[in-house]
Amino acid sequence: MRTNHVNPARREGTYINPLPIRIWHWINALGFVLLILTGAQIRYVDLFNLMSFEAAVKLHNWVGFTVIANYFLWLGYYVFSDRITNYHPVLDARIFVRNFFRQVRYYGYGIFKGERSPHHVHPYDKFNPMQRLTYQLVMLVAAPISFITGVMMWDIKRFQSWIEMVGGIRMVDTLHVLMFILFVFFIFVHAYMGALGQKPSTHYKEMFTGYEEAEGTPAH
Amino acid sequence: MLNNSRTGSPTKPDRETARDLAALVTSGLMLAVILNFLSMATGIAAAAVSDSDAKCLACHSMKLEKLLENGERLSLQVPVADFTESVHSSFGCTSCHQNIDDRKHPKTKVAISNSRDYSVEQNQSCRNCHAAKFEQYEGSIHASLVADGDDAAPLCTDCHSAHAVKSLAIYEPLTGQPCMNCHENIFEAYAESVHGAARANGNVIRASHIQAPICADCHRAHEITAVAANDRLQSTCLSCHEGASLAHDEWLPNAGLHLDVVACAACHSPMAERRIDLQLYDNVTQTPVGRNENDAVFQERVRKIDAAGDGLDPLELWSLVRQTGHEGRATDVTLRGRMEVRTGVDAHRLAVKSSAVRDCSNCHQYGADVFQNVTVSITRPDGRKQRYQAKSEVLSSVVSVNSVGDFYTLGGTRIKLLDALLILGLIGGVAIPVGHMTIGRYLRKKQQAGGSRCERIM
Repeated sequence: MRTNHVNPARREGTYINPLPIRIWHWINALGFVLLILTGAQIRYVDLFNLMSFEAAVKLHNWVGFTVIANYFLWLGYYVFSDRITNYHPVLDARIFVRNFFRQVRYYGYGIFKGERSPHHVHPYDKFNPMQRLTYQLVMLVAAPISFITGVMMWDIKRFQSWIEMVGGIRMVDTLHVLMFILFVFFIFVHAYMGALGQKPSTHYKEMFTGYEEAEGTPAH
Repeated sequence: MLNNSRTGSPTKPDRETARDLAALVTSGLMLAVILNFLSMATGIAAAAVSDSDAKCLACHSMKLEKLLENGERLSLQVPVADFTESVHSSFGCTSCHQNIDDRKHPKTKVAISNSRDYSVEQNQSCRNCHAAKFEQYEGSIHASLVADGDDAAPLCTDCHSAHAVKSLAIYEPLTGQPCMNCHENIFEAYAESVHGAARANGNVIRASHIQAPICADCHRAHEITAVAANDRLQSTCLSCHEGASLAHDEWLPNAGLHLDVVACAACHSPMAERRIDLQLYDNVTQTPVGRNENDAVFQERVRKIDAAGDGLDPLELWSLVRQTGHEGRATDVTLRGRMEVRTGVDAHRLAVKSSAVRDCSNCHQYGADVFQNVTVSITRPDGRKQRYQAKSEVLSSVVSVNSVGDFYTLGGTRIKLLDALLILGLIGGVAIPVGHMTIGRYLRKKQQAGGSRCERIM
């Protein structure tokens, strides 16, 4: 049975980001920033010196395992709660494709004309189609590839047979770096699109308070 | 004649026979006197040698030479003291020189083509008593070089000497003998190393009184294999430094892997010049390529692929890996990378632990010296590596994801194409928001300008 979890004291907005998701999101955000910085330090010792290689590797490993554990908070919450519908409110590809292009049109044109987003936020359908596709690719493809290849490189001898199945350590590293590049790109665009609410701070506030301040499209 | 001799005065022939006999006896006596004199003069009498050996030494203690078929002059002189003080003195000359028939020697001439061939042939006599050691020697790199016709490669006598064979204890002190005879530079490097210094200072390097190693402790005395043949040398290090694995585990990520692919000396000989060797390895047979293959075939393959002779580039290396295999069955040839020191001298300049390379960025950065020297190798049946030069780009090319798939150093051998992709990702990540904002502002301004015009018209 669906529940809205609306706090009576905050009836002015809709409760769209439950606490577990907010905790997961900000740990994840901080984790990815640290992983990107330490990862860049590991890969580019010759170009900048934020910290020593040794410290970067240690921090990268610790943060990496934290982000992996945190991933299961996200996965567990959506699998074991009824909010999984946020990712698939209607299982109809035609509707999804139509709404997807409406959303693309909005960000590419309508937003400049002062139009409202074609997607209306609801606690069980909070993502617009662009977000739904992007977040699923990130969380179900890119992140697991990063995690698995990262764990393999954390202890190469232990996971030797897995590494050989993937095609060797260089292939594992290449996949890890490709995901790193993708996340670098994603984090910039994600941060920017989070600022495309009613006000630039709207979606950021939502991600802290859990409440949608006004009708719009949340960052998550 | 017989009757005459029995019945009457001696006839002429009988007198001649008697004279001959007298001459023989006289000669014999003279020879005995001379030999006795020589024996005394050369000290044979004083030494406890058998009559038979004394007989040999009577001549061979003198400066004798034999002209060989190739014109060489082979010294046949055996200093008496060498023999009498050797551990072999009790066995006698013919124990080794079994081909000498003392009834016919020296009348029967034995033709010897050259001194090296004679030494190689004579080397086999050691097997008679030292079968186990000889078998170890036969599997060694030294024996392999002898078989290849290397005249400088050592035979048993080159280390143990031919006649002054001494007990094992003679090799214990820090003299460098016999290895230094051929490996002088390496021994000098060893003598200055942490091991050599410890050995010179009384051998005690730890509370547990472990002796600092000398050549044979790491390389063994007889079963000396090519350094690159296997990981025995590393195992040897760890057999004394038993806590090394755990000590590395404490601070070094992927310590086990580092110990596998980085030669101990690459870090513990801090001044050493290093290189990356990419060894062709067959994953199906689990053996290095070359062990069962004629290296002339491989050499020809490399020559054709690297026609310019300027070192293998990434595509040439990829082609070499693809072409290298055994016809008629599935192969999975790959390149196994290993960081090593370039010379044997550097490998022996082991320093105290506090001087070892500890800074990760020494190797984990693009352009590090070690990645400028790259070789590709096959391994001969005796364990020696045949190396071919490769360009440093083979470690950072996208093609290497396939060909050098099993070797990667974080940062150090990063693929340049991925760097370009990262720049694109960064540009894209910044350009999309900036572009979107710029378009938005432009359209809003345009809209505002349109609105003002409308207001003016109205």
